Amino acid sequence: MTGPDGARAYDAPAPVGLQSGRADAAGTARILDRGYRSYDGPRLGPTGAVRALAVQTMQRALGLHRSAGSKVLPLLSLGLAYIPAIVFVGISVFASQRDGRIRTFLPSYGEYYGFVSAAIIVFVAFVAPEVLCTDRRHGMLGLYLASPLTRTTYLLGKALGVLAVLALVTLGPVLLFLIANILNGTGPEGVGGVLTTLGRAVLAGLAVAVVQTALSLAIASVTTRRAVAAAAVILVIMSTSVFDGVLVRQAGASNLVFLTDLLQLPLELVRRIYGEQGHVRPWARTIDTSTIAAAYLAWTIAFGGFVVARYRRLQVTK
Amino acid sequence: MLEEDTPIVTATGVVKRYGGRPALDGATFAVGPGITGLLGANGAGKTTLFGLLLGLHHPDEGALSVLGLDPRHSGAEVRALVGYSPEHHTLPPDIRAHDLVRHIAEVHGLPAREATARASDALWQVGLGEERFRPFGTMSTGQKQRVKLAQAIAHDPALVLLDEPTDGLDPVQRDDMLALIRRVSHEFGLDVVLSSHLLEEVERICDAAVILAEGRVVRAGPLRELVGADGGLLVDTDTDPAGFVAWLAARGLDVRTDGWRLQVAAAGAAVPAGPSDLYDLVRDGAVATGTGIRRLVERTVRLEDVFLEVAE
Repeated sequence: MTGPDGARAYDAPAPVGLQSGRADAAGTARILDRGYRSYDGPRLGPTGAVRALAVQTMQRALGLHRSAGSKVLPLLSLGLAYIPAIVFVGISVFASQRDGRIRTFLPSYGEYYGFVSAAIIVFVAFVAPEVLCTDRRHGMLGLYLASPLTRTTYLLGKALGVLAVLALVTLGPVLLFLIANILNGTGPEGVGGVLTTLGRAVLAGLAVAVVQTALSLAIASVTTRRAVAAAAVILVIMSTSVFDGVLVRQAGASNLVFLTDLLQLPLELVRRIYGEQGHVRPWARTIDTSTIAAAYLAWTIAFGGFVVARYRRLQVTK
Repeated sequence: MLEEDTPIVTATGVVKRYGGRPALDGATFAVGPGITGLLGANGAGKTTLFGLLLGLHHPDEGALSVLGLDPRHSGAEVRALVGYSPEHHTLPPDIRAHDLVRHIAEVHGLPAREATARASDALWQVGLGEERFRPFGTMSTGQKQRVKLAQAIAHDPALVLLDEPTDGLDPVQRDDMLALIRRVSHEFGLDVVLSSHLLEEVERICDAAVILAEGRVVRAGPLRELVGADGGLLVDTDTDPAGFVAWLAARGLDVRTDGWRLQVAAAGAAVPAGPSDLYDLVRDGAVATGTGIRRLVERTVRLEDVFLEVAE
C-alpha cells in the first residue's frame, strides 16, 4: 500500500511499547515506512557548505552536541573573559549611585583587553587545534573535501567558525561593558559618541580575533595532536612577548622588536584604535600606527598563507 | 540530466604519477548504471581513482567524465552529486551518528531542516534506529560502516563511491552490508561504485567490474561478459593426454593442460567457434587417439580466473 509522499504503509498488530502509530478500531497500528525519497529541493552550493562548516566549527569549539567534559574548557574561558566585564559593570553601577571617584579605577575600553588576555590566549590555544587537528586526525577532512567544499573554502569555513568563537571573547565582553555603561548613563556622549565607540569596539575585537585565528590555524595545521598544537600556540605567543621584553629592556635592541611580539602587537593596535597609549611596552609608543598596522597585516597574511600552502599539499583521499 | 545510456563515469587514457611512479597508467574504462566493482590488490590504484573521480587531484594525462562533468574543471559540481564513504573507521568518536550524517548532508547543500529529516531517514534505511543518537566511537565496526553508508546517501547523490565498504566486517555483517548496498542501488535507484579486493563480494552484488593491477585497467565490463561460460570446454582424461592435445592443437584449437585436465577453446576464426562444434572435435580427437574421457563440461570463468589470468 502506498501512502502520501510515496510512503509505504503496513497494517500490523500494535506491538507492546510502540511509540508512534495510530491505533484503529480493530486494535491495529499503522506503521509508515517512508522509504528512500529522492530530494528535489534547493541545494545551497559552496556558500551553504561554508556556512554549515562554520556553524559546526563553532559548535564543536564550544562543546555543543558533545559530552559535558567537552564544555568545561570553553565555559571556563568564557567565564575568564566575561567575569571582569561583569565586575566592572557592577563597579560602574555602584559608582554612579554612591561614589563617582571609584570610576577612576575602571579600565578604558582599550585597557580592558589587558584584563582578558589570559582568557584570549587560553581560547586561542584550544579552539583552532580542536577544530583543525581533529578533522585531520579522524579523517573528516577527506569527507569534507568529497563535498562541494574545496581546500580553500574548507579553510574559509573553519576560519570563520574560529573567528566567531574568538570574537565571543575579544568582542563580547567589551560590548557588554559598553552596553551596560550606556544603560547606566556612564557611556559615551550622544548617538555619535555611542556609534564611534561601538565601531571601535567591533574593529578592535575583530583585530585581536583575526590575527590570533590565523596564528592558531597555522600552528594547528602542522600537527594532528591537539595538545601539542595548543601548547605550541601558548609557547609561541608567550615566547615572542618575553623575547620582545628581554631584547629591548635588557639587550638594548631596537624598539621595532616590538613588532614581533604576538601578544602585545594586536593589543597595541587595539589601543591605537581607541586612540589610547599603551603602558605595558612603553617603547611601542615610539612606533607609528601605520607601522604597527602593517606588521599586524604582515603577520596575518603570513600565517594565513602558511595554512593555505600547507593544506594545498595535504594528501587527503584516504 | 544524463541520458539513460550515458555512462556514469568514463576514463580515457588516464595517467596519474606520484614522484615519477605511475599510480594509474593509461586507465580506460566506462562505468554504467547499477553497481560497479573496482577490483584490485592494495596499491592497484583504486583509491587514487576515487580521488580523481572526486576532483581532489587531476590526471597528468587523459580525460575523465563523471555524470557528464569533468572533475578537473567542475570538481565542486561533481562532488555535490556524489556520495563518498571512506575506507577508514576513524571518524570523530565523540560525534553522534545523527549529527555526523546531518552535517555532511548540510555540507552537500541541503538546508538544515531537510538535512535533519534526511539524516534520520538515511540512518533508518541502513538499519540504525535508536542507535543513531550514539557517539560514533561507541559503535561496532558494522554500525560504523552503516553510518558511513548513511552519510554517503543522505543528500540523495546520483552516484555513491564506497571505498572498501566491508572492511573489518565478520561474514554475517558482510552479507548484511552487501545486501544493503544492493538495496541502495536497486531499490533507492542510486548508482554505486565500490572498491574491493574481495572477488567474491564483487561477483555477488556487482553488475559490472573494473579490474586494476599496478595502475592499469586489465579488464572492464559487465560481469556477465567477464564471467560465466566462455565458449570453451573442460576435459578430464583418464590417461596421459599428450597425443590428444597434439591432435587438438593440430586442428587449430587453443589447449591448456593441467595434468590430465585440459582447457580447450577455439583460438581463431579458422576453427569452429561454438561449443557444439568443439564437443564434436573433442569427441573425434578422443576416438582418434584412444583417450578416455572422465568428464566433459562447458568451461565457466569466475572473477578469480580473470584475476589469476591477469596476474600471470
